[in-house]
Amino acid sequence: MKNEFLTQINTYLPNVDYCSFRFVNKYTNVLSVTRNVLEPIEIIEDEGLMVTVIHDGGFGYSATSNLTKEGILKATNEAKSWSEFTKGKLIHQPIPPQESIDNGQYFTHEKDTWARESNIDKVDYLMEVNKYLKSKPTISNWGASFRYNKIETLFTDTNGSKFRQNISYILPQLIACAEYKKQIQTRTYGGHAHARQIGYNFLKDSDLINQATTIANDAIELSMAPNCPSDSIDALIAPDQMILQIHESIGHPLELDRILGDERNYAGSSFVNLEMFGNYKYGSELLNISFNPEQETELATYNFDDDGTAAEKKYLIQNGILKRPIGSFYSAQRAGQDYVACSRATSWNRPPIDRMGNINMEPGDSSITDMIASVDDGILLETNNSWSIDDYRNKFQFGCEKGTIIKNGELKGVVKNPNYRGITKDFWHNLSMVGDKSSFSILGTANCGKGEPNQTIFVGHATPSCLFRDIDVFGGE
Amino acid sequence: MREYFERITGELFKNIKSNELLIVNFDAEESNFVRLNKAKIRQAGSVKQISMTMSLSNKDKKNLKSSVRLNGSYDRDIHTLTKTLNYLRRELPDLPKDPYMLFSTNVHSTEISENIENIDDKEMLDHILMSSSNLDLVGIYSSGPIYTGLANSLGQTNWHSNYSFSFDYSIYNKNNNAIKLNYSSKKWNHEDYDSILQKGIEKLDVLSRPGKTIGTGEYRVYLEPAALNEIIDMMAWGGFSYKSNKIGTSPLHLLSKNERELNSSVSIDENIKDGISANFNSDGFIKPEQIAMITNGKFVESLTSPRSSLEYSATHNAAGSSEYPCSIDMSAGKINNDEILNTIDNGIYISNLWYLNFSDRNNGRMTGLTRFGCFLVENGKLTAPINTMRFDDSVYSMLGENLVGLTANRELLIDSGTYEERSTSSARLPGAIINNFKMTL
Repeated sequence: MKNEFLTQINTYLPNVDYCSFRFVNKYTNVLSVTRNVLEPIEIIEDEGLMVTVIHDGGFGYSATSNLTKEGILKATNEAKSWSEFTKGKLIHQPIPPQESIDNGQYFTHEKDTWARESNIDKVDYLMEVNKYLKSKPTISNWGASFRYNKIETLFTDTNGSKFRQNISYILPQLIACAEYKKQIQTRTYGGHAHARQIGYNFLKDSDLINQATTIANDAIELSMAPNCPSDSIDALIAPDQMILQIHESIGHPLELDRILGDERNYAGSSFVNLEMFGNYKYGSELLNISFNPEQETELATYNFDDDGTAAEKKYLIQNGILKRPIGSFYSAQRAGQDYVACSRATSWNRPPIDRMGNINMEPGDSSITDMIASVDDGILLETNNSWSIDDYRNKFQFGCEKGTIIKNGELKGVVKNPNYRGITKDFWHNLSMVGDKSSFSILGTANCGKGEPNQTIFVGHATPSCLFRDIDVFGGE
Repeated sequence: MREYFERITGELFKNIKSNELLIVNFDAEESNFVRLNKAKIRQAGSVKQISMTMSLSNKDKKNLKSSVRLNGSYDRDIHTLTKTLNYLRRELPDLPKDPYMLFSTNVHSTEISENIENIDDKEMLDHILMSSSNLDLVGIYSSGPIYTGLANSLGQTNWHSNYSFSFDYSIYNKNNNAIKLNYSSKKWNHEDYDSILQKGIEKLDVLSRPGKTIGTGEYRVYLEPAALNEIIDMMAWGGFSYKSNKIGTSPLHLLSKNERELNSSVSIDENIKDGISANFNSDGFIKPEQIAMITNGKFVESLTSPRSSLEYSATHNAAGSSEYPCSIDMSAGKINNDEILNTIDNGIYISNLWYLNFSDRNNGRMTGLTRFGCFLVENGKLTAPINTMRFDDSVYSMLGENLVGLTANRELLIDSGTYEERSTSSARLPGAIINNFKMTL
């Protein structure tokens, strides 16, 4: 069926320098049980086609949900018309790829498929989790949900390329709030970052009943805890906060379209410039960051990006030295840089732009026990709940759900509202220990926003826990 | 588009049984998007999309909904929708009852249809490119009609269609300082556009002076309406939601419980009447023209969805399920525009704030950064651009005891957001002068 569709639309490709058709079918299913009541189930089916034309010095696109022959030809003519209009007015005249992809494919491996489990069985599971979330009277709000997304992409172009990708991911979400003297504290299951390309078996293997009990108890403990003190101390940052630190202060500043100025009106620019690649010392020698579309089960694992560039693992930062940007085939042309397969669009109705895929911190060789033992005066920070960074990706302030004081190499009491702030250029130089594989966690965020017109996309981050020296932490009120 | 909507929903309702209720929500847009960088085109194209959400419920208080993307081709679409309806009907009996299900059963049809003019975007774009050929201009031009419809099997039909364009952009100088500008309207006028651009160029000239790095500490600041809107937007992140205030996750829950107050000059309404959003919610209820949410610094009324009304035994005001405002209207103050700099005297003029988030949500404390044109004010004069600073302050301080006053002049800010579809949110609000505004990094 899909191959027939690809073959059929292939005959509509126009006689131009270059044209691609990118068809996307997106299925979303969300089941939520809040305070023991099933919320209206969300089922969203979305499909459409993006036509991109590069011709005679021009570049244009048109996207349509009308998938009849008439609709596709109309969209193709509109893309050609935009291409004609932009001739001589473009900031960069893209040079299309010469190579073609011969029937490429990628499919997420779902051991137990989402569809095999009935709606009512999933709802029963969520109801059971709700019982454990509402374990004590002081729990004031609680809920659990499962989100399932399946994104199928079919691609063909005038080079003769054809590929098919089927990415599906599952995101379990748990939340518990506890109230004490009109102050509310919230705990979630990893800041809603446990999204993976994996089957329904993931939800059963994750032991959500135990997770529910833990976060409910945490919320109660936090609601009665003192505020985080203000001090400059060591910070041991857990993976569910590390992913945000990597995302905001490494991922975004390395996006090549930001460096080239495309995002200056919206998502911002970067303190990184083109001259820094190959020589700039981004952080301590322990810092190793990869663009890794090959990490099994991670959110942005794939074989091709949305421009049809083949995906492979490449280092962005190695031993602290900045190696290459997160720049797509076309952006790399503009900047004279090496590229990675990062041209991604939220769906058929938006053009691809430079995006994070899986941006991962390579594991080091320190155990959690060793890292805690090395701290005289510090804090363990867990689970992101607040993020803010300037438009050059330098001055940041992040907040976490839970802090645990570390004194003389031992974990002491819990503190609420832990925040910390710093400057990217300095922060990564304070990286002093990197966790080993035992703390390495595969996580990701389903909603990274960027671009004009705006787009959200799912990106993966896998990381161990890491220790930073002399971080400015503070609390609430 | 409306005829298509009525034809397709009419066919669907023929198959609805007497013990069923079907509500159909319809969203469509035909948009052009042209992205610019350095006054050249970066990406240009069109998006045409139609989607429909069908919500089927029965007399057992069971409910299931599904959204599908439509072709715009009747035969294919009716086939897709019938298949989806059959799926909903098949799944419905197995689901538990929904105790908070509430749909409008009073048939109340409405229509707001604006003339969709055939406007030549390419002519406007040529004007933009020509008038900015010597500038470093970056931004997005978006335009086209947006259609929103609702129909239910009881016979209610609501329709809202309008045309608008938005050119949201910034102009930069060689020091990487920038002024943010926006021209949004329903009808393009070269003179209006040129006037906005010219004022921006004049402001950019002040930014060309050597920049100053200011220290952390407390400052008297002026927030332009766009900057104040960022703070109001953070307050709206659950702050006006009945449910969030009830369960305590709202940044304004202490205000809603009369534990805290804002300055008596702060009054904020949800003003559907003067906004650009549809006046009906997805359950078929008609929204009140105006809801006073905060009056003279005191919390008056939340936005309450039909679901919340059943869950908490409250009266709803036809809010959407997110209970998020879409047409903020904040009362003006008394400070005239020509008094702003003298009132600041010594402090900071802030055109925009950016990337706000909470430092302590319980207590309404938030952080964010200055962005675009921000200036040091000395002795009532703009003297130098300032480098980016981070603030961290509580809404009860900024719009409470430290609020010096609001401006008499207000601006209508049309949201240029385009996530999934072009936004129809807007905010009308004044600027604010604030004492002891805390800069922390």
